[in-house]
Amino acid sequence: MWRIIFIWTLLPVLSGWAAERLSQRIDKLIAAKAGGAVATRSDDSEFFRRVKLDLTGRIPSATDTRSFLQDTTSSKRAKLINRLIASDAFATHWTDRLSVMLLERQNLGKVTDEEWRTFLEKTLKGKPRWDVLAREMVGATGTGESRPAMKFLGTADHHTMTENIARLFLGMDIKCAKCHDHPSVDEWKQSHYWGLFSYLNQTKNATNSKDKRAYLVEGVATKKVDFQSVFKTEKEITGPRLPGGKEVVIPAFEKGQEFEKPAADGLPGVPKFRPRELLARDLTAKDNTYFARNGVNRIWYLMMGRGLVHPLDEMHGQNPPSHPKLMEILMREFVAHEFDVKWLVREIALSESYQRSSRLPKAAKDVKPESWRTAHPKAMTPEQLLNAVLKATGNGNWVRELKAPANAEKFDRRGYFTGTNREMPPSFEEIRALFMLTYAEPAGTPEVDFIPGLNKALFLMNDRLIQDWLKPQKGNLVERLTKLKTPEAIAEEMYLSMLARFPEKDETATVADYLKQNDKRRTAALGDLAWSLLTSTEFRLNH
Amino acid sequence: MSRRRMLGTLGGAVGFGSLLQPAIAAEIKKQHKQVCLIWLDGGMSQYESWHPLPDSQFGGPFRSIKTSIPGVHFSELLPETAKIAHKISVIRTMETKDPNHSTGVPRIQRGDPIDRGVTYPYLGSAIAKLLGPANPELPPYLWIKPGNGGFIAKEAGFLGAQYGTLALGDGKPPIHIHRPEGVSVEVDAARNALRLKANERFKAYRGASEIDAYETSYHLARQLMARKDIFDDSKLDARDKERYGTHPLGRHILQARRLLEAGVRFIKVNSYHWDTHGDNFNMSQRLVPQVDRPFAALINDLDERGMLDHTLVIVMSEFGRTPVINSRLGRDHWPDCWSIALAGCGIKRGAIIGETSKDGAFVNGEGYDIGHLFHTIFTLLGINPRKTRYRHKGQKLAIAHDDCEPIKEVMQ
Repeated sequence: MWRIIFIWTLLPVLSGWAAERLSQRIDKLIAAKAGGAVATRSDDSEFFRRVKLDLTGRIPSATDTRSFLQDTTSSKRAKLINRLIASDAFATHWTDRLSVMLLERQNLGKVTDEEWRTFLEKTLKGKPRWDVLAREMVGATGTGESRPAMKFLGTADHHTMTENIARLFLGMDIKCAKCHDHPSVDEWKQSHYWGLFSYLNQTKNATNSKDKRAYLVEGVATKKVDFQSVFKTEKEITGPRLPGGKEVVIPAFEKGQEFEKPAADGLPGVPKFRPRELLARDLTAKDNTYFARNGVNRIWYLMMGRGLVHPLDEMHGQNPPSHPKLMEILMREFVAHEFDVKWLVREIALSESYQRSSRLPKAAKDVKPESWRTAHPKAMTPEQLLNAVLKATGNGNWVRELKAPANAEKFDRRGYFTGTNREMPPSFEEIRALFMLTYAEPAGTPEVDFIPGLNKALFLMNDRLIQDWLKPQKGNLVERLTKLKTPEAIAEEMYLSMLARFPEKDETATVADYLKQNDKRRTAALGDLAWSLLTSTEFRLNH
Repeated sequence: MSRRRMLGTLGGAVGFGSLLQPAIAAEIKKQHKQVCLIWLDGGMSQYESWHPLPDSQFGGPFRSIKTSIPGVHFSELLPETAKIAHKISVIRTMETKDPNHSTGVPRIQRGDPIDRGVTYPYLGSAIAKLLGPANPELPPYLWIKPGNGGFIAKEAGFLGAQYGTLALGDGKPPIHIHRPEGVSVEVDAARNALRLKANERFKAYRGASEIDAYETSYHLARQLMARKDIFDDSKLDARDKERYGTHPLGRHILQARRLLEAGVRFIKVNSYHWDTHGDNFNMSQRLVPQVDRPFAALINDLDERGMLDHTLVIVMSEFGRTPVINSRLGRDHWPDCWSIALAGCGIKRGAIIGETSKDGAFVNGEGYDIGHLFHTIFTLLGINPRKTRYRHKGQKLAIAHDDCEPIKEVMQ
């Protein structure tokens, strides 16, 4: 306890001479390049919905919104940010986000989704370090507590591992450098691809004959790898080498001296020289600026809706950051703070740049998103959308409890979409699957930019689950609305529950008019009104 | 992402995306070029269809019959098509490489471009990207198939899910195209008006391209709902149903005609189970007439309506079948020399292309690989396959195999 008091009492003193907070430096550097007015600060409603979505994946309830709006404490935003980052919901939501980013919805290898999620959630509840996470994933062998991290390596295909590590941990989509130097990115060479590849080409799957579990092991590396450009006639060779790094010398051992541990339990011997283990170490080293920059860029994207470098996997000289100086400072500070994910998330969330309104500054027309002069609206992720639809319509409690009866027949998902299956999904698991089939990108595709779609629009418009959730039942939103008497009360409850804000006067008037016109079908009309907000752009975007 | 690009990448392949110069794109749009690909999955036997050789050692039991082109014969299993042979072309010297279904189907439908380390789109997705929708109210790429449907993203390859295909399972559109039960037309319109009002308010003072893009997806969804009659087969003419045939392929090709008339850019119609390793002759006797009647009817109908000049119709599989008849009276996979039929959109009328050995087993001289066919298709659609390039992650990617050329002999 004395420690906490000590820090808090010293803080004002420290801030007098210590460097400014990172969040303030973010704002200064963005202001310096804004080239015009910036948007006003978001109002409390806008901020509250955004920060809840970004940090916990959920929209706020009407009650929570009311109490946040009523709170007059000047530091309430900072307090909220701290509270949300420390919450379990943060760990759950960021498990979703990091899983989608790093696994791209592929379920490969021997680690189950559940094991992976448990591992990631546990990490995110503590002090998640980007470097440690990456080291556990890239260096995974299947032993110890971080065993589930091996899911990142999938089936341990050497080329897939090479490409994924380059793209997701270095921001380099060097797939086409497999066959030749990148045709348009001068600095991406074929030797980068094969240098990385040769850290990984000894890795293989093996099963322990005792515990019957799958492990990733390394064979004995004896030579460099050959590669040849399709445009050249001569072959080249490289040993393990990181972009911008030095080639690792493959040591020669006398025969019989290659192993640190002999073969046992059906697993091959453990070689003294294990290049993938070295990759895990060197990739995540503090001086690997590619790695740190990519980490910053991806966390910035998760909070701000696009990267300082965008696309995320095009980090090279021809596609510089929108704010190079800011990128350098963020990178340095991220490293200095031991790649602390929560620290960086907090600093971004505290910045005025994050807390701006998504409305344009006065008189401004075309504001480029990379100027960060307004908040960039983000599409809700498929997971956020499902949460939000359930919460907004007030059906979350009972729908999440839905379980298929034991020995129920497998639910025909395709048939649900084609109309041959007229059943309602029997479990929350199936409902979740229907949402993912509609809103998620195909497995193996990055989900970065907003891709609206015909089928996605049609689902929210016409799906029978949605229609069902807009009928009064089990204490849901529409049932609550039927008990309210005045249009004012109805509009207020509906807007607070669905959009986390109070309705404007004209919106209340619209509600009143619609109810008047439909006084013979009042309950259904309440459903119509809720439908119109559920399908609105304001609902779909995290703005 | 710029607004223009965002609008161009709306899902369900309903964007306005086009790689072409505006002037050229406008020109192509004016021409309204459309495609119907009839895909006989598993591989139709050329001997029992386009290239009968009853007197050769591999000919099999069926006779050949005269066609409307003097001196040209088709199998007796194609009596209706024989009457319209002068409206179509047949290439008898396809020489493709892959004898396996699992790799052959994607290879053929992607046109086998040189490997650039990316997954190329299937033909329909490629056309959806290169030409966009012919009728902006309708998705550019629909796929009619037996069994299940739904939105199928994977055909789009690196172009991205939005260029995938809306598959009509047994010809039926996805369930969500229908207004929900218990919601009347009036209520649906009223609640939609509420939605639009909310959106207008939100859009004021905001400039992000995501906002327009989201609204556009609803606009297109509503337009498609309004046109759902084009999927309703109870509205098809009874005489047409009789002419096209009541089996699935007949119904589906008739539906394809209707969708072409409505302005869908690219329609694929699939028929399965053509893989006649056993009992090839009884199976062919049952299957080939199922494509004969509706194909002939489609060509006649498009011709009468003046649509054949701008609609390309292709009948093909992933390969043909072996000359040698195996011990189970079947024919196996044969990519070395097989036949396809083409019509419309600048395809010659009544041309039979390619010379084979007397027994039809091998190509005399040079055969045509799938890359040549893709060059031909793109050229006929007004897309220059030499100059047009996809742009993907900073790479310019050829749309068809660099080493191939259009098949001039089949083009007008």
